[in-house]
Amino acid sequence: MAHALPASFGRNSRFVSVGIPLIVALAIATYAFGRAGASIIVWWGVGLALGVILQRSRFCFAGAFRDLFLLRDGRLLRAAITGLLIATPGFTLLMARLVPDPSFGDLPSGAHILPVGLHLVVGGILFGIGMVVAGGCVSGTLFRIGEGYVGSLVALGGILAGLSLAAHSWNWWWQVHIGAMQALWFPRLIGYGWSIVLVIGVLALLYLAVLWWETRDAPDFPPMSSRPGAPAITFGEHLTAIQRRFLRQAWPYVVGGIALAILNIMSFTYDHALGVTGELSAWAERITGLFGMGAGTLIGTDQFDGCNLTLGDEGLLTATLALDLGLIVGSFGAAQASGEFRIRVPRHRSRYVQAIGGGVLMGYGAGIAIGCTIGAFFSAVPSLAVSGWVFAAALAVGAWIGTIVIRRLP
Amino acid sequence: MKLDVRGEMCPYPAMKAKEALAKLKTGALTVLTDHAPALSTVPWEGAKAGYDAEIVEAGRGEWRITLTRHEGVLDRAAALEKISAQLRDLGHG
Repeated sequence: MAHALPASFGRNSRFVSVGIPLIVALAIATYAFGRAGASIIVWWGVGLALGVILQRSRFCFAGAFRDLFLLRDGRLLRAAITGLLIATPGFTLLMARLVPDPSFGDLPSGAHILPVGLHLVVGGILFGIGMVVAGGCVSGTLFRIGEGYVGSLVALGGILAGLSLAAHSWNWWWQVHIGAMQALWFPRLIGYGWSIVLVIGVLALLYLAVLWWETRDAPDFPPMSSRPGAPAITFGEHLTAIQRRFLRQAWPYVVGGIALAILNIMSFTYDHALGVTGELSAWAERITGLFGMGAGTLIGTDQFDGCNLTLGDEGLLTATLALDLGLIVGSFGAAQASGEFRIRVPRHRSRYVQAIGGGVLMGYGAGIAIGCTIGAFFSAVPSLAVSGWVFAAALAVGAWIGTIVIRRLP
Repeated sequence: MKLDVRGEMCPYPAMKAKEALAKLKTGALTVLTDHAPALSTVPWEGAKAGYDAEIVEAGRGEWRITLTRHEGVLDRAAALEKISAQLRDLGHG
Protein backbone atom coordinates (compact mmCIF):
# COMPACT_ATOMS: atom_id res chain seq x y z
CA MET A 1 0.00 0.00 0.00
CA ALA A 2 1.14 3.54 -0.70
CA HIS A 3 0.34 4.32 2.90
CA ALA A 4 3.89 4.12 4.19
CA LEU A 5 4.11 7.27 6.30
CA PRO A 6 1.46 9.66 7.60
CA ALA A 7 1.02 12.67 5.32
CA SER A 8 1.99 15.03 8.14
CA PHE A 9 5.54 13.70 7.99
CA GLY A 10 5.81 14.72 4.30
CA ARG A 11 8.33 17.09 2.81
CA ASN A 12 6.30 20.31 2.92
CA SER A 13 4.53 19.60 6.17
CA ARG A 14 4.64 21.42 9.49
CA PHE A 15 6.81 18.55 10.67
CA VAL A 16 9.59 20.00 8.53
CA SER A 17 8.89 23.73 9.03
CA VAL A 18 8.20 23.64 12.78
CA GLY A 19 8.86 20.13 14.05
CA ILE A 20 12.50 19.80 13.03
CA PRO A 21 13.58 23.26 14.37
CA LEU A 22 11.68 22.46 17.58
CA ILE A 23 13.45 19.11 17.97
CA VAL A 24 16.82 20.78 17.38
CA ALA A 25 16.02 23.48 19.94
CA LEU A 26 14.88 20.82 22.42
CA ALA A 27 18.11 18.90 21.92
CA ILE A 28 20.20 22.03 22.58
CA ALA A 29 18.15 22.96 25.67
CA THR A 30 18.36 19.40 26.98
CA TYR A 31 22.14 19.42 26.50
CA ALA A 32 22.39 22.77 28.35
CA PHE A 33 20.22 21.55 31.25
CA GLY A 34 22.17 18.29 31.30
CA ARG A 35 25.41 20.16 31.88
CA ALA A 36 23.78 21.96 34.82
CA GLY A 37 23.06 18.70 36.62
CA ALA A 38 21.26 15.39 36.44
CA SER A 39 18.31 16.49 38.55
CA ILE A 40 17.73 19.56 36.41
CA ILE A 41 17.45 17.45 33.28
CA VAL A 42 14.92 15.17 35.01
CA TRP A 43 12.71 18.14 35.92
CA TRP A 44 13.07 19.51 32.40
CA GLY A 45 11.68 16.19 31.15
CA VAL A 46 8.89 16.22 33.73
CA GLY A 47 8.02 19.78 32.67
CA LEU A 48 7.88 18.83 28.98
CA ALA A 49 5.62 15.88 29.81
CA LEU A 50 3.44 18.10 31.99
CA GLY A 51 3.03 20.62 29.16
CA VAL A 52 2.18 17.94 26.61
CA ILE A 53 -0.38 16.28 28.93
CA LEU A 54 -2.08 19.55 29.90
CA GLN A 55 -2.22 20.80 26.28
CA ARG A 56 -3.37 17.53 24.71
CA SER A 57 -6.06 16.77 27.26
CA ARG A 58 -7.04 20.46 27.69
CA PHE A 59 -6.77 19.78 31.37
CA CYS A 60 -7.84 22.90 33.19
CA PHE A 61 -8.12 22.83 36.98
CA ALA A 62 -9.93 26.18 36.92
CA GLY A 63 -12.53 24.66 34.61
CA ALA A 64 -12.84 21.61 36.87
CA PHE A 65 -14.20 23.74 39.71
CA ARG A 66 -15.83 26.48 37.63
CA ASP A 67 -17.86 24.48 35.11
CA LEU A 68 -19.55 22.51 37.83
CA PHE A 69 -21.24 25.74 38.96
CA LEU A 70 -21.38 27.61 35.67
CA LEU A 71 -22.44 24.92 33.20
CA ARG A 72 -23.29 22.00 35.48
CA ASP A 73 -20.53 20.15 33.68
CA GLY A 74 -18.43 17.95 35.95
CA ARG A 75 -16.35 16.11 33.35
CA LEU A 76 -13.10 17.90 34.22
CA LEU A 77 -13.62 17.62 37.97
CA ARG A 78 -14.38 13.91 37.68
CA ALA A 79 -11.21 13.50 35.62
CA ALA A 80 -9.24 15.28 38.37
CA ILE A 81 -10.82 13.03 41.01
CA THR A 82 -9.90 9.98 38.88
CA GLY A 83 -6.31 11.23 38.83
CA LEU A 84 -6.35 11.59 42.63
CA LEU A 85 -7.78 8.07 42.98
CA ILE A 86 -4.71 6.78 41.12
CA ALA A 87 -2.11 9.08 42.69
CA THR A 88 -3.25 8.37 46.26
CA PRO A 89 -2.30 4.66 46.44
CA GLY A 90 0.92 5.42 44.54
CA PHE A 91 1.92 8.17 46.98
CA THR A 92 0.89 6.06 49.96
CA LEU A 93 3.14 3.16 48.95
CA LEU A 94 6.09 5.52 48.56
CA MET A 95 5.40 7.28 51.85
CA ALA A 96 5.05 3.96 53.65
CA ARG A 97 8.54 3.16 52.44
CA LEU A 98 9.97 6.55 53.43
CA VAL A 99 8.27 6.63 56.85
CA PRO A 100 7.33 3.08 57.90
CA ASP A 101 5.97 4.22 61.26
CA PRO A 102 3.89 7.36 60.71
CA SER A 103 2.98 7.76 64.39
CA PHE A 104 6.60 8.59 65.18
CA GLY A 105 6.39 12.22 64.06
CA ASP A 106 8.47 12.26 60.86
CA LEU A 107 6.88 13.49 57.65
CA PRO A 108 7.94 11.92 54.32
CA SER A 109 10.22 14.33 52.50
CA GLY A 110 8.95 15.55 49.15
CA ALA A 111 5.28 15.02 50.01
CA HIS A 112 3.12 18.14 50.21
CA ILE A 113 1.90 18.19 53.80
CA LEU A 114 1.24 21.77 54.81
CA PRO A 115 0.24 23.59 57.98
CA VAL A 116 -3.54 23.62 58.31
CA GLY A 117 -5.07 26.97 59.15
CA LEU A 118 -6.98 30.02 58.03
CA HIS A 119 -4.28 30.89 55.48
CA LEU A 120 -5.44 27.88 53.42
CA VAL A 121 -9.04 29.09 53.55
CA VAL A 122 -8.22 32.69 52.67
CA GLY A 123 -5.62 31.69 50.08
CA GLY A 124 -7.88 29.05 48.52
CA ILE A 125 -10.86 31.40 48.21
CA LEU A 126 -8.73 34.16 46.68
CA PHE A 127 -7.10 31.64 44.34
CA GLY A 128 -10.48 30.22 43.34
CA ILE A 129 -11.91 33.63 42.50
CA GLY A 130 -8.72 34.62 40.68
CA MET A 131 -8.50 31.51 38.50
CA VAL A 132 -12.10 31.87 37.34
CA VAL A 133 -11.79 35.61 36.66
CA ALA A 134 -8.43 35.23 34.87
CA GLY A 135 -9.60 32.19 32.87
CA GLY A 136 -7.08 29.65 34.16
CA CYS A 137 -5.06 28.65 37.20
CA VAL A 138 -1.27 28.88 37.38
CA SER A 139 -0.51 25.70 35.41
CA GLY A 140 -3.33 26.63 33.02
CA THR A 141 -1.81 30.06 32.48
CA LEU A 142 1.61 28.53 31.75
CA PHE A 143 0.36 25.97 29.24
CA ARG A 144 -1.86 28.54 27.50
CA ILE A 145 1.17 30.79 27.08
CA GLY A 146 2.71 27.88 25.15
CA GLU A 147 -0.45 27.71 23.02
CA GLY A 148 -0.15 31.39 22.10
CA TYR A 149 -2.65 33.12 24.39
CA VAL A 150 -1.59 36.72 24.94
CA GLY A 151 -4.16 37.11 27.72
CA SER A 152 -2.41 34.35 29.67
CA LEU A 153 0.90 36.17 29.40
CA VAL A 154 -0.82 39.18 30.99
CA ALA A 155 -2.26 36.90 33.68
CA LEU A 156 1.27 35.66 34.43
CA GLY A 157 2.26 39.28 35.12
CA GLY A 158 -0.64 39.49 37.57
CA ILE A 159 0.42 36.22 39.24
CA LEU A 160 3.98 37.52 39.71
CA ALA A 161 2.62 40.75 41.25
CA GLY A 162 0.36 38.75 43.56
CA LEU A 163 3.24 36.49 44.63
CA SER A 164 5.31 39.55 45.42
CA LEU A 165 2.50 40.96 47.59
CA ALA A 166 2.26 37.57 49.31
CA ALA A 167 6.01 37.53 49.96
CA HIS A 168 5.74 40.97 51.57
CA SER A 169 2.97 39.83 53.88
CA TRP A 170 4.37 36.33 54.50
CA ASN A 171 6.29 37.17 57.68
CA TRP A 172 3.15 38.72 59.14
CA TRP A 173 1.09 35.63 58.25
CA TRP A 174 3.81 33.40 59.68
CA GLN A 175 4.07 35.27 63.00
CA VAL A 176 0.35 35.78 63.50
CA HIS A 177 -0.91 32.45 62.27
CA ILE A 178 0.94 29.93 60.06
CA GLY A 179 3.92 29.46 62.38
CA ALA A 180 1.67 28.12 65.14
CA MET A 181 -0.30 25.80 62.86
CA GLN A 182 0.33 22.06 62.60
CA ALA A 183 0.99 20.15 59.39
CA LEU A 184 -1.76 17.58 59.91
CA TRP A 185 -1.10 14.24 58.27
CA PHE A 186 -3.79 11.55 58.22
CA PRO A 187 -1.36 8.60 58.67
CA ARG A 188 0.01 10.14 61.87
CA LEU A 189 -3.53 10.49 63.21
CA ILE A 190 -5.06 7.17 62.09
CA GLY A 191 -2.32 5.11 60.39
CA TYR A 192 -1.78 4.35 56.71
CA GLY A 193 -4.54 1.77 56.39
CA TRP A 194 -7.41 3.90 57.61
CA SER A 195 -5.97 6.96 55.85
CA ILE A 196 -6.12 5.36 52.43
CA VAL A 197 -9.57 3.89 53.11
CA LEU A 198 -10.80 7.33 54.19
CA VAL A 199 -9.26 9.31 51.31
CA ILE A 200 -10.22 6.85 48.57
CA GLY A 201 -13.70 6.46 50.05
CA VAL A 202 -14.30 10.22 50.15
CA LEU A 203 -12.91 10.64 46.62
CA ALA A 204 -15.23 7.92 45.32
CA LEU A 205 -18.22 9.51 47.06
CA LEU A 206 -17.29 12.92 45.63
CA TYR A 207 -17.08 11.39 42.15
CA LEU A 208 -20.58 10.02 42.52
CA ALA A 209 -21.86 13.29 43.97
CA VAL A 210 -20.48 15.24 40.98
CA LEU A 211 -22.03 12.76 38.57
CA TRP A 212 -25.37 13.02 40.37
CA TRP A 213 -25.27 16.84 40.26
CA GLU A 214 -24.41 16.82 36.55
CA THR A 215 -27.16 14.44 35.54
CA ARG A 216 -29.84 15.72 37.90
CA ASP A 217 -31.86 17.42 35.17
CA ALA A 218 -30.80 15.01 32.45
CA PRO A 219 -30.89 11.48 33.85
CA ASP A 220 -30.33 9.82 30.47
CA PHE A 221 -27.25 11.86 29.50
CA PRO A 222 -24.34 9.48 28.97
CA PRO A 223 -20.75 10.66 29.26
CA MET A 224 -19.08 11.57 26.00
CA SER A 225 -17.37 8.53 24.57
CA SER A 226 -14.68 8.45 21.95
CA ARG A 227 -14.98 5.37 19.81
CA PRO A 228 -11.85 4.24 18.05
CA GLY A 229 -11.60 5.31 14.42
CA ALA A 230 -11.30 3.11 11.38
CA PRO A 231 -9.38 -0.09 12.11
CA ALA A 232 -5.68 -0.04 11.29
CA ILE A 233 -4.17 -3.10 9.65
CA THR A 234 -0.82 -2.30 8.06
CA PHE A 235 2.20 -0.91 9.92
CA GLY A 236 1.69 2.47 8.21
CA GLU A 237 -1.97 2.60 9.16
CA HIS A 238 -1.09 1.84 12.76
CA LEU A 239 1.52 4.63 12.75
CA THR A 240 -1.06 7.02 11.36
CA ALA A 241 -3.61 5.97 13.97
CA ILE A 242 -1.11 6.39 16.83
CA GLN A 243 -0.02 9.77 15.58
CA ARG A 244 -3.65 10.94 15.24
CA ARG A 245 -4.66 9.72 18.63
CA PHE A 246 -1.60 11.07 20.39
CA LEU A 247 -0.96 14.33 18.56
CA ARG A 248 -3.98 15.41 16.51
CA GLN A 249 -7.08 14.53 18.50
CA ALA A 250 -7.64 15.93 21.95
CA TRP A 251 -7.21 13.31 24.66
CA PRO A 252 -10.29 12.65 26.77
CA TYR A 253 -10.10 14.58 30.06
CA VAL A 254 -9.84 11.38 32.03
CA VAL A 255 -6.73 10.33 30.10
CA GLY A 256 -5.20 13.68 31.11
CA GLY A 257 -6.13 13.10 34.77
CA ILE A 258 -4.60 9.61 34.77
CA ALA A 259 -1.45 10.79 32.96
CA LEU A 260 -1.02 13.64 35.47
CA ALA A 261 -1.38 11.18 38.34
CA ILE A 262 1.27 8.87 36.88
CA LEU A 263 3.62 11.81 36.25
CA ASN A 264 3.10 12.99 39.82
CA ILE A 265 3.89 9.53 41.23
CA MET A 266 7.05 9.44 39.08
CA SER A 267 8.09 12.92 40.25
CA PHE A 268 7.56 11.96 43.89
CA THR A 269 9.46 8.70 43.32
CA TYR A 270 12.37 10.71 42.00
CA ASP A 271 12.32 13.43 44.66
CA HIS A 272 9.18 15.42 45.35
CA ALA A 273 5.56 15.88 44.29
CA LEU A 274 4.62 18.28 41.46
CA GLY A 275 4.21 22.02 41.99
CA VAL A 276 4.72 25.00 39.71
CA THR A 277 4.44 28.20 41.77
CA GLY A 278 7.71 28.13 43.73
CA GLU A 279 9.73 29.15 40.67
CA LEU A 280 7.33 31.98 39.86
CA SER A 281 7.74 33.37 43.36
CA ALA A 282 11.51 33.33 42.83
CA TRP A 283 11.02 35.44 39.69
CA ALA A 284 8.65 37.79 41.51
CA GLU A 285 11.40 38.34 44.09
CA ARG A 286 14.13 38.77 41.46
CA ILE A 287 12.12 41.32 39.52
CA THR A 288 10.97 43.34 42.53
CA GLY A 289 14.52 43.03 43.92
CA LEU A 290 15.83 44.95 40.89
CA PHE A 291 13.81 47.93 42.08
CA GLY A 292 14.77 47.42 45.70
CA MET A 293 11.25 46.19 46.45
CA GLY A 294 11.98 42.56 47.31
CA ALA A 295 10.61 40.94 50.45
CA GLY A 296 14.09 40.39 51.88
CA THR A 297 13.32 37.61 54.33
CA LEU A 298 10.78 34.81 54.51
CA ILE A 299 10.49 33.17 57.92
CA GLY A 300 9.78 29.48 58.31
CA THR A 301 9.56 28.53 54.63
CA ASP A 302 12.30 25.94 55.17
CA GLN A 303 10.15 24.03 57.65
CA PHE A 304 7.97 22.16 55.15
CA ASP A 305 8.09 20.75 51.62
CA GLY A 306 5.78 22.29 49.05
CA CYS A 307 5.50 25.31 46.78
CA ASN A 308 6.99 27.66 49.34
CA LEU A 309 7.64 31.25 48.52
CA THR A 310 11.35 31.66 47.82
CA LEU A 311 13.73 34.57 47.51
CA GLY A 312 15.19 33.20 44.29
CA ASP A 313 18.75 33.50 45.59
CA GLU A 314 19.84 29.97 44.65
CA GLY A 315 20.92 30.85 41.14
CA LEU A 316 18.95 30.99 37.92
CA LEU A 317 19.38 27.48 36.60
CA THR A 318 17.25 25.50 39.03
CA ALA A 319 15.10 22.39 38.84
CA THR A 320 11.94 24.46 39.20
CA LEU A 321 12.95 26.72 36.30
CA ALA A 322 13.50 23.60 34.16
CA LEU A 323 10.04 22.34 35.17
CA ASP A 324 8.14 25.56 34.40
CA LEU A 325 10.04 26.24 31.16
CA GLY A 326 9.51 22.62 30.13
CA LEU A 327 5.78 23.04 30.76
CA ILE A 328 5.56 26.02 28.41
CA VAL A 329 7.78 24.42 25.75
CA GLY A 330 5.96 21.07 25.98
CA SER A 331 2.63 22.79 25.53
CA PHE A 332 4.02 24.80 22.60
CA GLY A 333 5.26 21.64 20.90
CA ALA A 334 1.99 19.79 21.46
CA ALA A 335 -0.04 22.77 20.21
CA GLN A 336 2.14 22.96 17.10
CA ALA A 337 1.80 19.24 16.44
CA SER A 338 -1.98 19.35 16.75
CA GLY A 339 -2.34 22.50 14.64
CA GLU A 340 -3.80 24.42 17.58
CA PHE A 341 -1.00 26.91 18.10
CA ARG A 342 -1.98 30.43 17.22
CA ILE A 343 -1.28 33.86 18.69
CA ARG A 344 -4.62 34.87 20.18
CA VAL A 345 -5.29 38.36 21.40
CA PRO A 346 -8.35 39.10 23.56
CA ARG A 347 -10.81 41.34 21.73
CA HIS A 348 -12.37 42.85 24.82
CA ARG A 349 -10.25 45.26 26.82
CA SER A 350 -11.96 44.02 29.96
CA ARG A 351 -10.27 40.62 29.51
CA TYR A 352 -6.89 42.24 30.17
CA VAL A 353 -8.22 43.75 33.38
CA GLN A 354 -9.60 40.32 34.34
CA ALA A 355 -6.25 38.67 33.54
CA ILE A 356 -4.32 41.09 35.75
CA GLY A 357 -6.87 41.25 38.57
CA GLY A 358 -7.45 37.49 38.59
CA GLY A 359 -3.71 36.91 38.35
CA VAL A 360 -2.98 39.09 41.39
CA LEU A 361 -5.63 37.25 43.45
CA MET A 362 -4.21 33.89 42.35
CA GLY A 363 -0.63 34.89 43.05
CA TYR A 364 -1.46 36.18 46.52
CA GLY A 365 -3.63 33.13 47.27
CA ALA A 366 -0.95 30.70 46.08
CA GLY A 367 1.65 32.57 48.13
CA ILE A 368 -0.08 32.35 51.49
CA ALA A 369 -1.69 28.94 50.89
CA ILE A 370 1.74 27.56 49.82
CA GLY A 371 0.76 26.30 46.42
CA CYS A 372 -1.67 26.29 43.55
CA THR A 373 -4.19 23.79 42.22
CA ILE A 374 -1.28 21.40 41.61
CA GLY A 375 1.04 21.90 44.60
CA ALA A 376 -1.53 22.51 47.34
CA PHE A 377 -4.32 20.32 45.94
CA PHE A 378 -3.36 17.73 43.31
CA SER A 379 -0.14 16.86 45.17
CA ALA A 380 -1.43 17.39 48.73
CA VAL A 381 -4.48 15.10 48.64
CA PRO A 382 -2.42 12.03 47.57
CA SER A 383 0.15 13.01 50.24
CA LEU A 384 -2.69 12.18 52.68
CA ALA A 385 -2.41 15.74 53.98
CA VAL A 386 -5.39 17.38 55.64
CA SER A 387 -4.28 20.64 53.99
CA GLY A 388 -5.21 19.38 50.51
CA TRP A 389 -8.86 18.98 51.51
CA VAL A 390 -9.09 22.35 53.25
CA PHE A 391 -7.53 24.06 50.23
CA ALA A 392 -9.83 22.17 47.82
CA ALA A 393 -12.95 23.19 49.73
CA ALA A 394 -11.79 26.82 49.77
CA LEU A 395 -11.01 26.61 46.03
CA ALA A 396 -14.55 25.40 45.35
CA VAL A 397 -16.03 28.28 47.36
CA GLY A 398 -13.75 30.74 45.54
CA ALA A 399 -14.63 29.29 42.13
CA TRP A 400 -18.33 29.62 42.97
CA ILE A 401 -17.83 33.30 43.91
CA GLY A 402 -15.79 33.68 40.71
CA THR A 403 -18.69 32.44 38.57
CA ILE A 404 -20.93 35.07 40.15
CA VAL A 405 -18.31 37.71 39.34
CA ILE A 406 -17.88 36.73 35.68
CA ARG A 407 -21.62 36.49 35.12
CA ARG A 408 -21.82 40.19 35.96
CA LEU A 409 -18.90 41.17 33.74
CA PRO A 410 -19.40 41.76 29.98
CA MET B 1 -27.61 33.81 14.15
CA LYS B 2 -23.85 34.19 14.32
CA LEU B 3 -21.66 34.31 17.40
CA ASP B 4 -18.03 35.29 16.95
CA VAL B 5 -16.12 34.38 20.10
CA ARG B 6 -12.64 34.36 18.60
CA GLY B 7 -10.11 35.63 21.11
CA GLU B 8 -12.24 34.38 24.01
CA MET B 9 -11.09 31.62 26.36
CA CYS B 10 -13.09 29.24 28.51
CA PRO B 11 -15.70 29.58 29.82
CA TYR B 12 -16.87 32.36 27.49
CA PRO B 13 -17.45 30.37 24.27
CA ALA B 14 -19.74 27.87 26.02
CA MET B 15 -21.29 30.50 28.29
CA LYS B 16 -22.12 32.86 25.40
CA ALA B 17 -23.37 30.00 23.22
CA LYS B 18 -25.68 28.91 26.03
CA GLU B 19 -27.01 32.47 26.40
CA ALA B 20 -27.47 32.82 22.65
CA LEU B 21 -29.33 29.51 22.42
CA ALA B 22 -31.69 30.66 25.14
CA LYS B 23 -32.52 33.74 23.03
CA LEU B 24 -32.63 31.91 19.71
CA LYS B 25 -36.22 31.49 18.50
CA THR B 26 -35.72 29.98 15.06
CA GLY B 27 -32.87 28.88 12.84
CA ALA B 28 -29.37 27.82 13.71
CA LEU B 29 -26.58 29.30 15.79
CA THR B 30 -23.13 29.46 14.23
CA VAL B 31 -20.26 29.81 16.69
CA LEU B 32 -16.84 30.85 15.39
CA THR B 33 -14.03 30.08 17.83
CA ASP B 34 -10.23 29.82 17.97
CA HIS B 35 -10.24 28.17 21.41
CA ALA B 36 -9.82 24.41 21.01
CA PRO B 37 -11.34 23.48 24.40
CA ALA B 38 -14.59 25.07 23.18
CA LEU B 39 -14.93 22.11 20.80
CA SER B 40 -15.76 19.88 23.73
CA THR B 41 -17.93 22.40 25.60
CA VAL B 42 -20.03 24.26 22.97
CA PRO B 43 -21.49 21.18 21.20
CA TRP B 44 -22.08 19.68 24.65
CA GLU B 45 -24.08 22.71 25.80
CA GLY B 46 -25.96 22.51 22.49
CA ALA B 47 -26.85 18.86 23.04
CA LYS B 48 -28.11 19.68 26.52
CA ALA B 49 -30.46 22.27 25.01
CA GLY B 50 -31.64 19.89 22.24
CA TYR B 51 -29.39 20.99 19.38
CA ASP B 52 -27.40 18.97 16.88
CA ALA B 53 -23.85 20.16 16.29
CA GLU B 54 -21.77 20.32 13.14
CA ILE B 55 -18.10 21.09 13.63
CA VAL B 56 -15.83 22.16 10.75
CA GLU B 57 -12.30 23.52 10.63
CA ALA B 58 -12.50 27.14 9.43
CA GLY B 59 -8.76 27.76 9.24
CA ARG B 60 -5.63 26.96 11.18
CA GLY B 61 -6.58 26.85 14.86
CA GLU B 62 -10.09 28.09 14.08
CA TRP B 63 -13.40 26.23 13.99
CA ARG B 64 -17.01 26.82 13.07
CA ILE B 65 -19.66 25.05 15.13
CA THR B 66 -23.23 25.10 13.80
CA LEU B 67 -25.95 24.26 16.29
CA THR B 68 -29.30 23.32 14.74
CA ARG B 69 -32.43 22.59 16.71
CA HIS B 70 -33.25 18.92 16.45
CA GLU B 71 -36.69 18.05 15.07
CA GLY B 72 -38.60 16.19 17.74
CA VAL B 73 -36.86 14.76 20.77
CA LEU B 74 -33.06 14.68 20.53
CA ASP B 75 -31.58 11.26 21.16
CA ARG B 76 -28.83 12.50 23.43
CA ALA B 77 -26.72 9.38 23.27
CA ALA B 78 -26.74 9.49 19.46
CA ALA B 79 -26.05 13.25 19.48
CA LEU B 80 -22.99 12.83 21.72
CA GLU B 81 -21.79 9.89 19.64
CA LYS B 82 -22.05 12.15 16.56
CA ILE B 83 -20.12 14.94 18.29
CA SER B 84 -17.29 12.64 19.34
CA ALA B 85 -17.14 11.13 15.84
CA GLN B 86 -16.77 14.64 14.38
CA LEU B 87 -14.08 15.56 16.90
CA ARG B 88 -12.27 12.37 15.94
CA ASP B 89 -12.48 13.21 12.24
CA LEU B 90 -11.07 16.67 12.89
CA GLY B 91 -7.89 14.87 13.89
CA HIS B 92 -7.54 13.44 10.39
CA GLY B 93 -5.28 15.83 8.58
